[in-house]
Amino acid sequence: MADLLNIVAVGLLLGGIYALVSVGLNLIFGVIRVVNFAQGEFVMLGMYGTFAVSAATGLDPYLGVVVVVPALFVLGALVQRLVLSRLRAEPAMQIFATFGLLLLLQNVVLAVTRGTAYSVNTPVAQISVGLGTVQIGLSRVIVLLAATAVTLVLGLWLQRSTLGRAIRAVAQDQRAATLMGVNTDRVYMLSFGIGAGLAGLAGCLLAPLYTMSPQIGTNFILPAFAVVVLGGLGSVGGAYVGGLMVGMIEALAGYYLDPALKHAVLFAVFIAVLVVRPSGLFGQAGAEEVGLREQT
Amino acid sequence: MILRRSVACMAAAFLWAGGVSAQTAPAPAPVAPGRGVLKIGVVNPFSGPMALYGDEMTRGFDLAVDRANAAGGVLGRTVQIVRASATTPQEAISAVEQLVSRDKVDLLSGTYVTALSNAASEAALGNNKLFWETNALAKDLTERGLPNFARSGPAGDSFAQRSVEGVIKLVAVKIGKEPAALKVWIEHEDSAFGTSIGKEQEKLLRAAGVTQLGIGNHSARAVDLSDSILRAKNFGPDLWLSTAYVVDHNLLLRTAREQSFKPAAMMLVGTGDTFETLDALGKEYLEGVLLVSYPRPDVGEAYAPGAAAFLTAYRAKYNREPIAPQSMSAFVGMRILLEALESAGSVEYDKVLAAAAKMDKPFGSYETGYGVKFDKTMQNVRALPLIAQWQDGTVRAVYPAEAVSGGTQLSSLARK
Repeated sequence: MADLLNIVAVGLLLGGIYALVSVGLNLIFGVIRVVNFAQGEFVMLGMYGTFAVSAATGLDPYLGVVVVVPALFVLGALVQRLVLSRLRAEPAMQIFATFGLLLLLQNVVLAVTRGTAYSVNTPVAQISVGLGTVQIGLSRVIVLLAATAVTLVLGLWLQRSTLGRAIRAVAQDQRAATLMGVNTDRVYMLSFGIGAGLAGLAGCLLAPLYTMSPQIGTNFILPAFAVVVLGGLGSVGGAYVGGLMVGMIEALAGYYLDPALKHAVLFAVFIAVLVVRPSGLFGQAGAEEVGLREQT
Repeated sequence: MILRRSVACMAAAFLWAGGVSAQTAPAPAPVAPGRGVLKIGVVNPFSGPMALYGDEMTRGFDLAVDRANAAGGVLGRTVQIVRASATTPQEAISAVEQLVSRDKVDLLSGTYVTALSNAASEAALGNNKLFWETNALAKDLTERGLPNFARSGPAGDSFAQRSVEGVIKLVAVKIGKEPAALKVWIEHEDSAFGTSIGKEQEKLLRAAGVTQLGIGNHSARAVDLSDSILRAKNFGPDLWLSTAYVVDHNLLLRTAREQSFKPAAMMLVGTGDTFETLDALGKEYLEGVLLVSYPRPDVGEAYAPGAAAFLTAYRAKYNREPIAPQSMSAFVGMRILLEALESAGSVEYDKVLAAAAKMDKPFGSYETGYGVKFDKTMQNVRALPLIAQWQDGTVRAVYPAEAVSGGTQLSSLARK
């Protein structure tokens, strides 16, 4: 029982990591209908940005959020405006453009760092709290709390703000939204920027947990796609629940079966959900089809 | 239909994403063929996640070549290193083809990664060229029976052998337990590198009377390794013996700290001995952690004559401390190759390997403490790693006794 409690805690905290990485990915997919392969690289840039800010200022890495998140927002908005918007009539090409961006960002960082693995340190990362037999790292708790807060705030913002409603309108039907006076170009740019900014936030909060390499983003992106599909394509809340599910599946399978089998179990569940409920657990029916549907 | 097309498109792109690694290293400039130049093609990862170490290794080659050229060259020719980058077996094959057909190299060498060595050496055989391995570890490499292949550096089983010596002669003694009473958890990453060492460790530990063994493996690309640490913690080992790459070793150690996993001793095999791990964990946490690693330039001169001179040459050429000990092992490997070439009077692989097979030098002949004696598989059996220990933020050789430099002693193994 003690083992089970501990592994459930590990699964929840891991789920927080996946949720935080996936919320932005799902927002981008839900609104712009682009499967953004470079989302993991935005997380990677967030990590390196955190390292750079911390190294330059000597401040705690968590404070890098102040610089990194706006920087990633701007980068995301620029990528959408300069690259993806020009390919809007070619949905498949948009996907490959994000794949090209993935390689571009990896290689730029590789050229700068020469493959050296960097780490950031903060006293928080060394704090681990024992609750009975359960051991919880504070830096992971911060990630879970941040994922929860981001999901709630983003969800509320999308529901209640004018801009949020405009984003949802574009997500539902871009043509109708345009006819209603919504500036769709602005919504696309803003959505991609927010998605990239959220990846930057994830990078900041994950930096103290990992040793950075230019390829680290691809380690996150495969499970993140599973999260998005499980939770529901385009659903912010679904990404959160999907993240927790994926974290729990990985932790339980890794501990009780074999660490080498955890991804096999995860993707068996992934395929089962795809077959039974293609729109995911919280996705809108039919959302899975619009990924390549012409929106102009 | 749309869904199928969409998913197929995503799947194809993503599989490609998984298989392709970053490549930024520019292709080496063509080298003009010349009679006075003996060209050695070097296949290594000069891009991607292993680039730092591929580059570091090749620095060792460059230093050995500088040394040989300063002494008049080899076979009356100036030696030149020609680099080609590879991060996957497919790229390694292409790199060999390019080096042979475009750059007209006389023979080939490398590598930091077993999978690259495996593919590149077979491609070299297809081109009738020697492939001289200095650093890749998997035992299988010399057991394939390739007629053009030799390895001058230690094999994975010698890392396993050294680690087991450390378990019996250092750890068991230090914590006051007989081997039969010792509980050891063997953790390894799941590629050929970690798996081959982990299996050999299990075999050797059982033969040494350590029967309370737990075994775990993990992916080096895993986002979370809590499950691996919790399985080990649940086993309650005296020693946690781990073989992994840098990034997953760092994540394992961070998770161990987070989960308050404090075995009496920790021993890391292959990595964990560079600034990358020191930066990630800090010197307080690493204090006392044992390492099985390539010989370092700080080993005693009696064990490794010339190690200090290597360090001086490295600092002079690169204006920094060595990044990792792999460079000195590569340096020695290249020295042995150049001696074999001189002795063979040829670059043809059968003649070079025949000359190498005749070499018989005792331990302590080179900067790493290596000697030369190739077995029938063309594995140099006089190339062994060392056991070192993190002490106050630096890595100190602690075993064997003759490699220990003055004043260094095995410090406490206890985890804080």
